[in-house]
Amino acid sequence: MMTDTNGNSSSSNNHHHHNQQDLSLYFLELSRHGSSQGPCDMDEDEEAPTELNTINSSGGFLVVSQDKLSIKYTSVDLHGHDVGVIQANKPAPRKRLVYYFEIYVKDAGTKGHVAIGFTSKGFKMRRQPGWEPNSYGYHGDDGLLYRGPGKSETFGPTFTSGDTVGGGINYATQEFFFTKNAQVVGTVSKDLKGPLFPTLAVHSQNEEVHVNFGQKPFAFDLKEFEAQERMKQQLKIEEITLPANVSYGIVRSYLLHYGYEDTLNSFDMASRSTVPPVYIPQENGVDGQEITYALSHRKTLRQLIRNGEIDTAFNKLREWYPQIVEDNTSATCFLLHCQKFIELVRVGALEEAVKYGRIELATFFRLPSFEALVQDCVALLAYEQPQESSVGYLLQDSQREVVADTVNAMILSTNPNLKDSKNCLHSYLERLLRQLTACCLEKRSLSGDQGEAFQLQSALSGGKNC
Amino acid sequence: MSLFWIVIRQLAESEAMATSKKVITREEWEKKLNDVKIRKEDMNKLVMNFLVTEGYVEAAEKFRMESGTEPDIDLATITDRMAVKKAVQSGNVEDAIEKVNDLNPEILDTNPQLFFHLQQQRLIELIRNGKVEEALEFAQEELAPRGEENQSFLEELERTVALLAFEDVSNCPVGELLDISQRLKTASEVNAAILTSQSHEKDPKLPSLLKMLLWAQNQLDEKAAYPRITDIPTATLEDPAV
Repeated sequence: MMTDTNGNSSSSNNHHHHNQQDLSLYFLELSRHGSSQGPCDMDEDEEAPTELNTINSSGGFLVVSQDKLSIKYTSVDLHGHDVGVIQANKPAPRKRLVYYFEIYVKDAGTKGHVAIGFTSKGFKMRRQPGWEPNSYGYHGDDGLLYRGPGKSETFGPTFTSGDTVGGGINYATQEFFFTKNAQVVGTVSKDLKGPLFPTLAVHSQNEEVHVNFGQKPFAFDLKEFEAQERMKQQLKIEEITLPANVSYGIVRSYLLHYGYEDTLNSFDMASRSTVPPVYIPQENGVDGQEITYALSHRKTLRQLIRNGEIDTAFNKLREWYPQIVEDNTSATCFLLHCQKFIELVRVGALEEAVKYGRIELATFFRLPSFEALVQDCVALLAYEQPQESSVGYLLQDSQREVVADTVNAMILSTNPNLKDSKNCLHSYLERLLRQLTACCLEKRSLSGDQGEAFQLQSALSGGKNC
Repeated sequence: MSLFWIVIRQLAESEAMATSKKVITREEWEKKLNDVKIRKEDMNKLVMNFLVTEGYVEAAEKFRMESGTEPDIDLATITDRMAVKKAVQSGNVEDAIEKVNDLNPEILDTNPQLFFHLQQQRLIELIRNGKVEEALEFAQEELAPRGEENQSFLEELERTVALLAFEDVSNCPVGELLDISQRLKTASEVNAAILTSQSHEKDPKLPSLLKMLLWAQNQLDEKAAYPRITDIPTATLEDPAV
């Protein structure tokens, strides 16, 4: 991502300086993130069951309603191999904390042999869930939990006509749980891997069951259940101890990294007067120094860019750090030119914008990493109300912030004491958050894609966890 | 190959099987890290949440201007909250109680434990200042009746009064009550109660996320060897131990 993708022969001459590594190319990619609506929710690509699978159900023993959401046992049960069993059309989704579905027993028929459970893909479609390997079933007639041939145990109450019964998978605890009339009746450890299908079964005359895959509100308060599960996890996490004042230090280094100097000064002043004063072990060695480097210059440039004063920012850069802007084809210059163009569009100076674009932006067309942003910028001209358009993200504050962050990183990279130029790109806070996210994703992928991923955005809005 | 070596090899193999963990090299891991997108906006929110919850009102104001991040609480209420906290921290407990009641009288009404701890702190301050008679009177009139309602309050009260029995408090087994940390404890309890009354979380989110990082790393340790961050203050990525 950070390597120059323009390494082909046609452009390599122009890009001689930063061919080995132009740090600002990293921000070029960031600048385009605004074009899609935030980072995509990685968990939404999973399909959830919506209806019953009428193709592989036990044909002949049961009738499925037109909407594929209810079944009825129409024949006479003669033995153990004529169960009316049916699976959902999709396996239970796994990239979440909990999966849950419900059935409503409309009619328990002559014997009340209704069952709810989970079965794997190759399940024998004429047997009760729990009678065969790789299946779990909670049975209405005896209230037992069946989990494979010869394996059953006392579990919950029996259920019959008029009862609403639910089956769920708790991916955090690796358990199945079942509910009756909105109350959890029991949990059982899940030792199955691979996709599991929500399954229901009827096995005596006139038994009729409706299924709810979430198309209607559940009787069971799933939200509350999830909240409690998250709370349990949170309590475990809260037991971990952190080094003293570590958050304080992380915030401080963030302010330093991005050059929020005024905030930093207030922060330092306030912490000197707290009782007892916040003690921060001095950041040892070069890393600490790198970061106070050029603080007031970085602050000034950030303010200018945030105010849309791109010309002044350019001039200051030429004066203070000519090496950053001497190559007019660098990603830094490009981002600044784009921003200048955007600011002109913002104030409605369209003619001037066109003129500026012809001089400064045209050269970037047909350069692979630059092209997308140039096109978006130019597209602003096509709309009467560009902020409403698909390229409206360019007019938001966050775009100015990206440009300011680019300049900030480039100035940091001019520090002669710098050890690793990659350190300019990410604050400590960002490195820690990346590590957190990566750990959670990796853990999930090593557990068969089960469970919730960590997303900073949802953690901030107070909901989901790892 | 001698039998000895065969046995050794088998042992080594079975050990490797038992602890067979996926090994993720630094290069592979860095690639994964680079695929993670953290929005600047979200980090700004996290920092703002810390400043606001910890009561850095001026820094929060400055941060709003420098980063364009909106605070998730009215900044004016932070000033009031910090005034209460500061009063407790400097031993002006009466003043703090008055300020809390000005802010929202329900806070102490609905929080008997907090009220007791504030009164206890008041008693501690009286003892610290050598006002023995006043302290006794206060303990009997204000605190003892509350102790009757609640066994743990009574024990706390007895513990506190024990301070009076020692001329040299440095020898006193409950001497830590006179320590500055006791004031800080009470102060943070008041602080949390005020935040809760403003329907704001009482703790900043950042420490929880850092704890979650340690937790997530511990969990992943069971399944894989990968570059960890053990030293949080410097966010240094270490090479995987194989």
